[in-house]
Amino acid sequence: MKYFFVILITFFVISCNSNQPKPIKLNSENCEFCKMTIANGKFGAELITTKGRYYKFDDAACMLQYAKSNQVMVKMFFVNDYLKENELIPVEKSFFLKGGTISSPMRGNIATFSTSKEQKEFQAKLNAEAMTWEQVYNSY
Amino acid sequence: MKKIIGILFLFLISISNAKTIRVGSSFPVKKVKQALQLAVDGDTIIVNGGVYKEGNILINKKIIFLGKNFPILDGQRKFEVISVNADNVVIKGFKIINSGYASLDDPCGIKVYDKSFVKIENNILDNNFFGIYLQNSRNCLIKNNKITAYGKQEQLIGNGIHCWKSDNLQIIANKISGHRDGIYFEFVTQSIIWRNISNKNIRYGLHFMFSNDDSYITNVFKNNGAGVAVMFTKNVKMYNNYFEENWGDSAYGLLLKEIADSYIFNNKFARNTSGIYMEGTSRIKVEKNVFESNGWGMKIQASCMENEIVNNNYLKNTFDISTNGSLVLNTFNSNYWDKYEGYDLDKNGVGDVPYHPLSLFAVLTEKTPSAMLLYRSFMITLLDKSEKVLPSITPDNFIDKTPLMKSLPL
Repeated sequence: MKYFFVILITFFVISCNSNQPKPIKLNSENCEFCKMTIANGKFGAELITTKGRYYKFDDAACMLQYAKSNQVMVKMFFVNDYLKENELIPVEKSFFLKGGTISSPMRGNIATFSTSKEQKEFQAKLNAEAMTWEQVYNSY
Repeated sequence: MKKIIGILFLFLISISNAKTIRVGSSFPVKKVKQALQLAVDGDTIIVNGGVYKEGNILINKKIIFLGKNFPILDGQRKFEVISVNADNVVIKGFKIINSGYASLDDPCGIKVYDKSFVKIENNILDNNFFGIYLQNSRNCLIKNNKITAYGKQEQLIGNGIHCWKSDNLQIIANKISGHRDGIYFEFVTQSIIWRNISNKNIRYGLHFMFSNDDSYITNVFKNNGAGVAVMFTKNVKMYNNYFEENWGDSAYGLLLKEIADSYIFNNKFARNTSGIYMEGTSRIKVEKNVFESNGWGMKIQASCMENEIVNNNYLKNTFDISTNGSLVLNTFNSNYWDKYEGYDLDKNGVGDVPYHPLSLFAVLTEKTPSAMLLYRSFMITLLDKSEKVLPSITPDNFIDKTPLMKSLPL
C-alpha cells in the first residue's frame, strides 16, 4: 500500500511538471492568434501559461502579439528550430535571426537556431540581423 | 549523310533569322539545354514527346517554348525544373514532374524571377514541391494548367500557384490539388483569379495575404483542409464562387480576418463546418449568397463592424448565425431564413415580425462547446422558443427586420 502511494505521488508530480512543449500537429492545428492552419514546421511557436495551458502559433510574431495583447501569464515560450522539422526549443537556449531573406507565414521573419555557430553561419546566408530573445521580445 | 544534314540544318537556322528549333530523338538537337544555347531572342523551340532529365532548365532569352505530345521534363527530386529569367517567355504543353524537395530554397516546377509578360499555358505539373511560383512579376498569365501534388498531413509541401510581390496577374482555369495552398497571394495587387478548380489541398484552396484590389470569380473550392482564407487585405471582390465540403474543427468555407471594404456576391457555401468565419472585418457587403447545409452559416466575431448582410438565403444550416459577444455593429436585412416562423398578413413578401437569427443555443455552444451534447433536447427547444419571444442572453437588437417569406431565386 505504501508503495502504491509513492507511485501515485510520483505520478502526480511528473504529470504536473509541464515544462515540455506539446508537439504541433502540422496542417491540422490553428494558430491561436491569426487563426491560420499551422503548416510550416520551421516557424511554429508555442507558449505554456502558468496555469499549464498550451497555445500554439504559426509564427513567433503571432505568439508575441498574443502574449502581449491577452493578459496571459506566460511560463515558457518555445519556438521551432529553423534547421529541423517541427522541433520546439525553449527561447532561453536559442539564437535568433530576423529579416533578410527569411520569410515566415505571418511576416515575423524570425528564424531560430539552437547553437550560435548555426546562427553565425546562416546570418551571412540569409542576410539577416542577429538578435537575442530580449530584443525579439521587445520588438513587439 | 545524317551528320551533314544535321550540320546543314543548324547552319540554315543560324542564318535564316533562326525561327524554330526542334528538339527530340529524331532531330539533330537532342537536348533542351542545347536548343536553349542555340536560341536567340524571338525564337521558338518545339520539344517533341519523350523524357528529358536535364536538371535545371534556365530560360534567359525571350523565347517561345513549346511541347509537342507533352514531353516530360523531370527534375529527379533534385532540381528546380524550369527557371524563367527573361520577359515575354511562353511555356506551353509540357509535363513537368518531380521538382527538388529541399525546403530551404523552395524549389518549383516553374519559377519566374522578376519578369513581365510571361505566359504559362496548358502544362501538366505533377509531384512538384511548389507548382508555379511568380516572384516580383507583372502582367503574367497562368492558364489551363493542371497542377497535382501528393502532400500529406504532417509534411512540408509548397503551394500550387504561389505569387509574391506581383501585380496584374491573370490566373485562369487551372486545376490544383494536393498542395499546401492551391493558390497563394502575398503582396499581389490588381490581379484576377477566374474559373479555377482548387480541391483536396492540405490547407487552403485559396489564400490571400496582404493583397489588395484583387478579384476572384467563378472558382470552385472543394474539400480543402481549411477552405479559403482572405486575410489582412482590403478591396477584394468575390463573385460566383463555390465553397464546398470543408469539414473539420478549424475548417471554414471562407475565413475572413482583418479585411475591409470588400464585396461578397452570389457565392454558394454548402456543406462546410462554418460557411463564413469573420474576425476583425469591416465594411463588407455580403449579398445574394446561398448558405446551405452548413454547421454554422456565418460566425461573426464581436470584432466585426459595419458589415451589411443583405438578400441571402439561409437553408438547412444547423445554426444560421453565431457570435461571441453582445455588441451588434452589423446589419442584417431582407434575408431568407428557413427557420423563420412569422407571418405575412399584408402579403408583400416580407415577414411582419422581425426575425432573430441568433439562437440561444448558438450562443451557449460558443461559450461552452461541449453543450452541443444537449442539442435538440426538449429543454433546449423550450428555452430557444422562450428566448425568441423574450431575448435575455442573445442581444435583442440582433435582428432582421424585413425577413423574406420566400427564398430568393439564386
